[in-house]
Amino acid sequence: MRNTRGSRHSLVNTQKLTIIAQDPSVRIGGKILMSEVDVPAEELLAGPRGYRVNVIDFDTATSTLYRPAVLKRAKNGQYEDAFALKKADGTPRKRPKRYDHKLVSDPTFHAQNVYAIVMRTLAQFEFALGRRVPWGSQGHQIHVAPHAFADANAFYSREHRGIFFGYFTGPSNRPIFTCLSHDIVAHETTHAILDGIRSRYLEPSSPDQAAFHEGFADIIALLSIFSLPDLVGQLLDRSTPRGRMISKAHLTADALKQSVLLGLAEEMGVGLSKGRESALRRSVKLRAGRPYMSMPEFSEEHDRGELLVAAMMNAFLEIWMSRLAKIGFVSPGKRDRSLVVEEGARAAGHLLTMSIRALDYCPPTDITFADYLSALLTVDREVVPDDKYRYRAALLRHFNNFDIRHATGADVDGLWKQFDGRELVYARTHFDSMLRDKEEVFRFIWENRKALDIDDRGYVEVQSVRPSIRIGPDGFTLRETVAEYVQIMTLQAKELKAALKITPPPDLPPTMRIRIFGGGALIFNEYGQLKYKIANRIEDAKRQTARLKYLWESGALDGDQQDGLRLARLHRARMARAERSE
Amino acid sequence: MAASAPNSLNIRTYQVGFGDCFLLSFTYDGSKKRHVLIDFGTKALPPGAPKGHMLRIANDIKATVGDDPFAVVATHRHQDHISGFQRSSNGKGTGDVIRAMKPKVVVQPWTEEPGLAETANKPALKRFGDGADKRVAALSDIHEIAAHVVEAAQRGGLPREARDRLTLIGEDNVKNLDAVKNLMTMGQEDPVYVFSGTKSGLDSLLPGVKVHVLGPPTVAQSDKIKSYAKTSDQYWNFQARAMRAGSSLATSKGKSKVLFPRHVASAGPNYPVEARWLIYHARQAQAEQLLSIVTMLDKVMNNTSVILVFEAGAKKFLFPGDAQLENWLYALDGTNDKYKALLQSVDLYKVGHHGSWNATPKKLWSLFKKKSAASGQGRLKTLMSTLEGVFHEEHEVPRGKLVTELKSQSDLLSTNKLPNSDLFRDTLVQL
Repeated sequence: MRNTRGSRHSLVNTQKLTIIAQDPSVRIGGKILMSEVDVPAEELLAGPRGYRVNVIDFDTATSTLYRPAVLKRAKNGQYEDAFALKKADGTPRKRPKRYDHKLVSDPTFHAQNVYAIVMRTLAQFEFALGRRVPWGSQGHQIHVAPHAFADANAFYSREHRGIFFGYFTGPSNRPIFTCLSHDIVAHETTHAILDGIRSRYLEPSSPDQAAFHEGFADIIALLSIFSLPDLVGQLLDRSTPRGRMISKAHLTADALKQSVLLGLAEEMGVGLSKGRESALRRSVKLRAGRPYMSMPEFSEEHDRGELLVAAMMNAFLEIWMSRLAKIGFVSPGKRDRSLVVEEGARAAGHLLTMSIRALDYCPPTDITFADYLSALLTVDREVVPDDKYRYRAALLRHFNNFDIRHATGADVDGLWKQFDGRELVYARTHFDSMLRDKEEVFRFIWENRKALDIDDRGYVEVQSVRPSIRIGPDGFTLRETVAEYVQIMTLQAKELKAALKITPPPDLPPTMRIRIFGGGALIFNEYGQLKYKIANRIEDAKRQTARLKYLWESGALDGDQQDGLRLARLHRARMARAERSE
Repeated sequence: MAASAPNSLNIRTYQVGFGDCFLLSFTYDGSKKRHVLIDFGTKALPPGAPKGHMLRIANDIKATVGDDPFAVVATHRHQDHISGFQRSSNGKGTGDVIRAMKPKVVVQPWTEEPGLAETANKPALKRFGDGADKRVAALSDIHEIAAHVVEAAQRGGLPREARDRLTLIGEDNVKNLDAVKNLMTMGQEDPVYVFSGTKSGLDSLLPGVKVHVLGPPTVAQSDKIKSYAKTSDQYWNFQARAMRAGSSLATSKGKSKVLFPRHVASAGPNYPVEARWLIYHARQAQAEQLLSIVTMLDKVMNNTSVILVFEAGAKKFLFPGDAQLENWLYALDGTNDKYKALLQSVDLYKVGHHGSWNATPKKLWSLFKKKSAASGQGRLKTLMSTLEGVFHEEHEVPRGKLVTELKSQSDLLSTNKLPNSDLFRDTLVQL
């Protein structure tokens, strides 16, 4: 049998493309540090324009449309990478003259760079979740504009179905391109994907929810960068004596904080990644063990999001060291440098996958950091029950160090409790339909609303039913179905107390219409039985009272907030932040 | 010679459309009068206003004041508060009229102190504290950014409504150099630059009247403001530099700088079909971004407003310019009980920022004890100089909710409701 490309072999699944490892300011010997990454192989039109991403290079500041990048088809069926520093067989190629200048001055490279990083980030989500992942905006293809504005901002917009990257003048009066910064591109892509998985997380709700989008996008961006061996190796090379071996003195938590975390924070382009650089720097400088979550200076969304980043980055270092401990020494006190780098990149890759998987185990509305921690621990146990590198212990410890405790509804070990489904009725629904059909899942909820403890006064809607397939360490697949439902109730402020025991803020006009949310994620196992119900009940008066207080005090109930602009505003405010001392 | 205290105050609210212009005339025994002009500017004249409308107002001010003692307060640098102080090349502009009246003194916020903008020796810093020079530099950056925004809005391609709004707010924040210079030099005495707690500079002009300066605070006066200002000042500096990248201001021929001239596929207007959807939405997003920037910078400039309370007899009159929440923070925070007590007994309130949603903080409004649902003697009076339809939708000014509250809880005079034939409306208060 021959396939459509005329070969008897299967088509390749991945395409190699060259990107800038972090941003043009991270260099080796004065040369921009590059990396070759794998992205899903697909049919590409000029742009590049593929089945999920459509790069259109239009600059609103000058009303100029730039020519699209055209990747030529190679003989092996893949596309030629005009900027590759490796030959097809993987051997290094001589760096062309004025290569760095071309990278910065050629918009077709910029287009390739954003395309590759967006697709790589998407592929990381699809790999972790075992299914196709939608964008938060409508349509299958998201628009990406690499030079959208002359402004120090970059953002995802659900309304405009796109990710827009700005450019601006740097201190040396040269243009700085946000589309060339790996972490900015991965960060914005994460917003677009997270919005597709949990659309209610962009709504104002609590300090935690406000901070979660930003903190999570930072985590994914940073772990995505640390999963590149080229970059980890470079950071270690800069801070340790050259040679094939590396001394164990350079592999302590403190040493790695300085060399890897702070090393990258200091390398990031001046002014380019100001906000994110700060998040990474803070993960080194914040002292563990303080009551951060209740400190007023960490109630603001950017600062609060940094707690999440700090917890994850510190856990990453511990896991890296834990993996190294299993390897042993090549000579007394010395480890093989390439193995150290490989284990670091691998630890980052694993944590990246875990961080993404946890989303399925989070409630669909009003997320808290505590929910996320419990989800992170639970989903990892489902996939990797034996945890030989003690990932879960490291995560729990470091989240606790930054005052992030597990959810109150979770078990003593921080993991979600399995659902006791003895009362559930399955007889009126069909196994096969339950795997994909929202109507069928709604019917299941309807028949079981008492057993599921779902208040039947408000509007209930099943938002999604998503099959999820993962490979466990035993090589077998773990099949789950994840369904999410939301509950919505709209009442006047004066009705809240009587109806739901919710105490509205005293100044709230009594006739103001208030919309409250609840909802849950239902995780069905491979037999179609409900395994977990991770929910925020709509009638939880304590949570709803706290939410209304926050919304009122933050001005979110004034009607002057535009949800669609929230991320753009957030990123602008983040760029505007002053450097802080600890 | 005037007696030691005035017995009445007339507040003349001029019909300047979207802007402020108030002439306070204190009458002392023997009908001697002393006057303070608070702001003189407009951003949009009332519909149907004849040519020379502002000049008519300037001449009315001149005729009313005559040779009486007179002072000027310019609350902040926005065009809708100071454009009337701009001179004309023929020497017959509104700013020339006011200048010829030789005000005794001109009172402005501390941020206008010219010494702060100079790079060398800064004795002014000693008075206003660390960070004051950076704040002033940020205001200069804001003028530059506003110019970039106006230029971007006029370059075309943006949706019409957004373009109008951007131009309106942007132009309000573009530096009005001549008006600034005129204010700096028109007074008989040295200009007075005030901040929370300082003397107003009006004491000798207005015997028997205590003039309290509640704002703006300096950077050094409050930790909250210090942190806000530091963040904000760094940002504006960064943003001004950032926006130079796409500005035609940077090019000699007035053309926009194209980033990659050798890679241009189309400079419009007929873009390829497959790109048009994105182009439309990118422009929408761009308009939203620019609007968010001008709204932020407009607020910073509003927050330099001088906030004055005139205390005469048993009556108190509050003129806060366009102060927004951050400016009010110092006067309203827990430590300033004396200011709170003062504000509680205010008899007349000049509504902040033409009735926008963000310039009458809930905390301030809740302090006013003389507001009442029932009309009658002693009820709070409010003056609002505004024009409907300049701002739209969610940014409406005046804010419907606030207007409803002002109407139901105070005697409201809004220039919006004045007939076109009226140049002003007087509010006389016996002291």
